[in-house]
Amino acid sequence: MSAVPSLARWRDAAPALFLAVLVAVITVATPDFAQPGNLLGVLADTATLFVLAAGMTFVILIGGIDLAAHTIASLSSVVVALLLPTLGYGAFPVALAVGFASGLFSGVVHVRLHVPSFIATLATSGVVSGVALLVSDARTISIDAAGRSQLAWITGSVAGVPAVVLIAAAVFLACAFVQRFTRFGRRSLAIGAGEPAAWASGIRVGRQKIIAFALCGTLAALAGALLAGRLSAGTPVLGNQLLLPAIASVIVGGTAITGGAGGIGRTLIGALIITVVRIGMTFVGVNIFAQQVVFGLVLIAAVAVTIDRTKIPIVK
Amino acid sequence: MLETIGLSKSFGSLKALNDIDIKVGRGEVVGLVGENGAGKSTLMRILAGVEQPDEGELRRDGEPIHLSGPLDAGRQGIGLVFQEQSLLLNMSVAENLFLGREAEFTRFGLIDRNKLHAAARQQLAKVGQTIDPGKRVSELAFSERQMVELAKALTLEDRVDRDLVILLDEPTSVLEQAEIDILFARVRALRARASFVFVSHRLDEVLALSDRIYVMKDGAIVGAMPAAEASVPKLHQMMVGHGLHGEYYRENEQRPPAADAVLVARGLGSGRAYRDVDLTLHRGEVLAIAGVIGSGREELIRTIFGFEPADTGTLEVFGKTVVLTSPADAVARGIGYIPRERRVEGLVMLLSIAVNTTLAGLDGVCRRGLVDHARERAVARSWIDRLAIKTSGPDLPCSSLSGGNQQKVVLAKWLQAGSGILILDHPTRGLDVGAKEEVYRLIREVCARGTAVILTADTLEETIGLAHTILVMRDGRVTAKIDAAPGAKPAQVDLIEYMV
Repeated sequence: MSAVPSLARWRDAAPALFLAVLVAVITVATPDFAQPGNLLGVLADTATLFVLAAGMTFVILIGGIDLAAHTIASLSSVVVALLLPTLGYGAFPVALAVGFASGLFSGVVHVRLHVPSFIATLATSGVVSGVALLVSDARTISIDAAGRSQLAWITGSVAGVPAVVLIAAAVFLACAFVQRFTRFGRRSLAIGAGEPAAWASGIRVGRQKIIAFALCGTLAALAGALLAGRLSAGTPVLGNQLLLPAIASVIVGGTAITGGAGGIGRTLIGALIITVVRIGMTFVGVNIFAQQVVFGLVLIAAVAVTIDRTKIPIVK
Repeated sequence: MLETIGLSKSFGSLKALNDIDIKVGRGEVVGLVGENGAGKSTLMRILAGVEQPDEGELRRDGEPIHLSGPLDAGRQGIGLVFQEQSLLLNMSVAENLFLGREAEFTRFGLIDRNKLHAAARQQLAKVGQTIDPGKRVSELAFSERQMVELAKALTLEDRVDRDLVILLDEPTSVLEQAEIDILFARVRALRARASFVFVSHRLDEVLALSDRIYVMKDGAIVGAMPAAEASVPKLHQMMVGHGLHGEYYRENEQRPPAADAVLVARGLGSGRAYRDVDLTLHRGEVLAIAGVIGSGREELIRTIFGFEPADTGTLEVFGKTVVLTSPADAVARGIGYIPRERRVEGLVMLLSIAVNTTLAGLDGVCRRGLVDHARERAVARSWIDRLAIKTSGPDLPCSSLSGGNQQKVVLAKWLQAGSGILILDHPTRGLDVGAKEEVYRLIREVCARGTAVILTADTLEETIGLAHTILVMRDGRVTAKIDAAPGAKPAQVDLIEYMV
């Protein structure tokens, strides 16, 4: 019995240790890496991925998965690019509302129609990416110079710190607050760790799940808006390469794929690990497509290492 | 044929089996009776190789044997027909009969259906059935499935060159009387080729089918006799062991309930499970519902907590007519539920005691809509003190607690939620004697403060000891309402009369 808690504690600390080792190795190889300016650049590169993964964290914590988050980010980037010339700043709330509605749709299909979340969200991803291709005519919509002034809150910086880093920090604090202090945060943890007990304790399980999916959709839309800002364009396939790293960030950080354990702090570490690994691979010269191979393998390894087989004898 | 010598088995601090010696002779049907928790199931699981004893040994034809799993038991000619049917519903009868042995029926590497079905027909004939072997199991009646199970157990004959021992664990619980008669006729006819160990809650069935009967209580054999010398009251007397002792159930602390009704059901009915149920629960009352498996009492209490709505009738809770479509509705109306599956439906085992304490009443520790962690911990600490929960702190996970202390956390959850009505579904299941006494003490205490309790207990002794009023159910109907005031408790035979 005594070995179990210490193993669990090791598992808890492992992602942070791994990140520290990664940073140390890269710093030894290229001392410039640890320069404050470069580190801020790493954080800025992490920001979008982290915001997407933050939303995913809510869904995974309740024991679900969202395979539509990246398409919601793409659609959001298109919405921003299309509406910025006419609505100005109003384009951003519209994009977030579209993300919220898409997440809500996934959640309602999953809960009310009793469709497993991976199927419900897979279907939603088809719907959402189809809409994104339709409204954009399957083209990249670039944001002209006039629109770019309204992207300053994304592309600018405050006292040398990139704005996206500050936005990601705000998302982190908000998510940490929701998970720790709201009834929704508490209940979703209980649902992930023991849904029958949560249900038999009078928790309205379906409602909490729908909230989680809606939150995930909203944050995915925010991630899409940030991407549109950084690239000065909206593209219907913009988020396609982001789903795998986003799920990997959550799991590598140490949130259980089965739900009920973990949180936003772990996702932050996971997203940093994924970004540092990517930067490291780019530096070493690994092809960008080969990087997806690595993320896929990393995800498999992270799930295989962290899943607790004593509690889940049969995995479907 | 098959015997056990000094078998013992413990689960944690709970001694499930203590020095069990039983013998099963050639062609004999041996009945095994006892109350829930007496150890029948554990003994059956050891005979089936599913669990291993801590001490003692099994002997087969005089030779000591070790069963490391159900496959081993099969090699020794021990077959099983369990209460939870083991057939795969989406496969045919023939495929089920020879599951895992398909290789014996192949031609050119493919399964030869004709060969498989011919062999299946042969097996089915052993139990007197002419079911089409190609039929899916899901299309069969429960009685036919039970026959297929029996036929499947008999396929061991092909592989083992000795007489079989077949374990029948509550095989009648899902069957109608006519189907039971067919099953029993088959078992009698099969005595030439196999011995049987038969477990059932229905004592009359055990008497009708068995040659010899063992009576178990608290993990030990307390009696063994030929069926011819036994009777239902005699068996029951032995299962219970001793008369009522009021002290154990704190009868002197039993206060008369208040006059006001907190829950009234009229004409409640649900499918085939139960119908026309009227009941009234008063403040401070323990209303126990007695009945065997299939009496409908389990379904009834799950309806009252909103798991499955009733088809007919009305329910009134604290004076308001309500429709409960989910546990959340029931909790909102002030009803709490202490489930028999405490580790699944009672607690989120991996989360802390504090979190579990506020699972149903989170609003009570919120300030301006947000969870106040300091207040939550203080509340949890106060329940730890008041219910004497043995732990070193509210932040430890519930999985670190013993069964009795886990049950106290479940109770704390509902007290914290302010539930005025508690449904106790086998609240002492799996608890040792000391923990049971604690639970009884707490039930008395909450009732004295005005909480009303609906109880389905593991044993009749517990039912009578704790109850103010007892409803007896049989085949989905209420057959009696019996007063159980302290000092004027009914005898068990008074209840059994209405149960079977």
